[in-house]
Amino acid sequence: MVPATICHLLTPMNAVEINHLKKSYPNVAALKGVDVAIPQGEFFGLLGPNGAGKTTLISSIVGLVKPNSGEIRVMGFELRKNPREAKQQIGLSPQEINIHNYTPIRKILEFQGGFYGLSKKESLKRGEELLKHFSLWEKRNVGRYQLSGGMQRRLMIARALMGKPKILILDEPTAGIDVELRHELWSFLKELNRNGTTILLTTHYIEEAELLCDRVAIINHGRIVAQGPPKELIAKHQLKKESRRDGPFQFVRPGSLEEVFIKLTGHTIEEEAKEETAEETRA
Amino acid sequence: MKPLIPFFTLVRQEVYRFWRLIKQTIFPPIVTTLLYILIFGFSLGSRIQEIHGFPYILFIIPGLAAMGVINGSFSNACSSLYMAKFDRSLENLLATPLRPVEMVLAYIFSGLMRGVLIGTLILIVALSFFKIPPQHFFVLLYFFIFQSVIFSCWGIIAGMRAKTWDSLATIENFIITPLVYLGGVFYSIDLLPQPWRMVSMFNPLFYIMDGTRYGILGVHDAPLLYSFSFTAIVALILFGVCVYLFQIGYRMVR
Repeated sequence: MVPATICHLLTPMNAVEINHLKKSYPNVAALKGVDVAIPQGEFFGLLGPNGAGKTTLISSIVGLVKPNSGEIRVMGFELRKNPREAKQQIGLSPQEINIHNYTPIRKILEFQGGFYGLSKKESLKRGEELLKHFSLWEKRNVGRYQLSGGMQRRLMIARALMGKPKILILDEPTAGIDVELRHELWSFLKELNRNGTTILLTTHYIEEAELLCDRVAIINHGRIVAQGPPKELIAKHQLKKESRRDGPFQFVRPGSLEEVFIKLTGHTIEEEAKEETAEETRA
Repeated sequence: MKPLIPFFTLVRQEVYRFWRLIKQTIFPPIVTTLLYILIFGFSLGSRIQEIHGFPYILFIIPGLAAMGVINGSFSNACSSLYMAKFDRSLENLLATPLRPVEMVLAYIFSGLMRGVLIGTLILIVALSFFKIPPQHFFVLLYFFIFQSVIFSCWGIIAGMRAKTWDSLATIENFIITPLVYLGGVFYSIDLLPQPWRMVSMFNPLFYIMDGTRYGILGVHDAPLLYSFSFTAIVALILFGVCVYLFQIGYRMVR
């Protein structure tokens, strides 16, 4: 008989496995039983309107939100039982800039490397590589307040990569980045993914997800409403040719993932604005 | 991965933070002590009687040193945590593989380094005027370390709870400062009439001051065993509370 540990090693493991995750805040149920499995090496997109539960889901994976029930496994490690081992696998670039205000950015990367167990020498070397890669080397001695919005966003991604993560979680990484840099970032992420890093991306640019992701999940009101490769989702959910294309569909390219997104979430810009206001009130 | 690297990195980050602001974090208490020496030593000191056989300025130096340790440790932990909450860098820290106990220890350790550094510098500056060394070096070290742990832990709890700078200033101005001043920095409780003498015995800061004074001058008001055990027990309890609060993510994890 093969021992359980060897079986565990032989079975292809999911990078992230989320089973029946529920989370409620005082006035709202943010996650209502979410199930997601992201195989190793996949480029996975998580799409949803504002307030759908994307950030709560991502924050749960890194331990910033305590779910009410359900299970999260990261590279086989149960987050609740083995938080250190689970977190060691993840690099996170959250939606909100959360960088020390006045510490020089080279030090920020050096410290981040140390938090993931890199020696000072290794951290300095990796920090230099990443700062050069993201065109931030010239700014290495300034605090984040002296960086433009796009530079801060790139710094967040560089910091997320300091710990050489097996899973990179990017929450709106291209928000505020100009087109040229966005394209550069896309090719960098694709390359990273080709080299084996699993990527979990949330974005409001649906075409970005369509272009980059092997699979996407659409979350709405705390539930996954569709999951699969973009092409399959489009084939399954796109509007029929004879359908009226007014209202929220009037500016949407027929046969696109955006069309599927709007159909499944039923969100117009006005509704999103209302939800945003409600979310701000809750916060 | 060497398991202690994340912990020592957080200590380095915290020490870097206060060291970079040395003019705000280290020098002011030293300047204040020099002013006390000037005022109570050379100006008013001759008009005040000796206490326990020591000139007044010498009698208050241990209290001033303890005050430096206490304030340095408290403000290091609370301002660091509060700022990390404010700029949200605490969220990044909580998402790293650092364990709650490592985070607490790192905040304590950096508070301890700042507090003990301030206390030591105050003593070096002050005692150099009188050319006397501390009478019981290891007792002094014991009290410096434990009072620093106590106030670093208190700073951690205050930093976690605080929603505004105002609430931190309230603790410093309306709780810590009165307790320190009434804990016997400037007088011996032998000089107090009842019931104030009894009231002073309930001030936890009194035992810390008294122990520190014994370490430096070799005199004390309260039984030493009380002071030794009291500071160790309070430090241990507060450390446990901090670890528990970090484990449950008090006001940090939603």
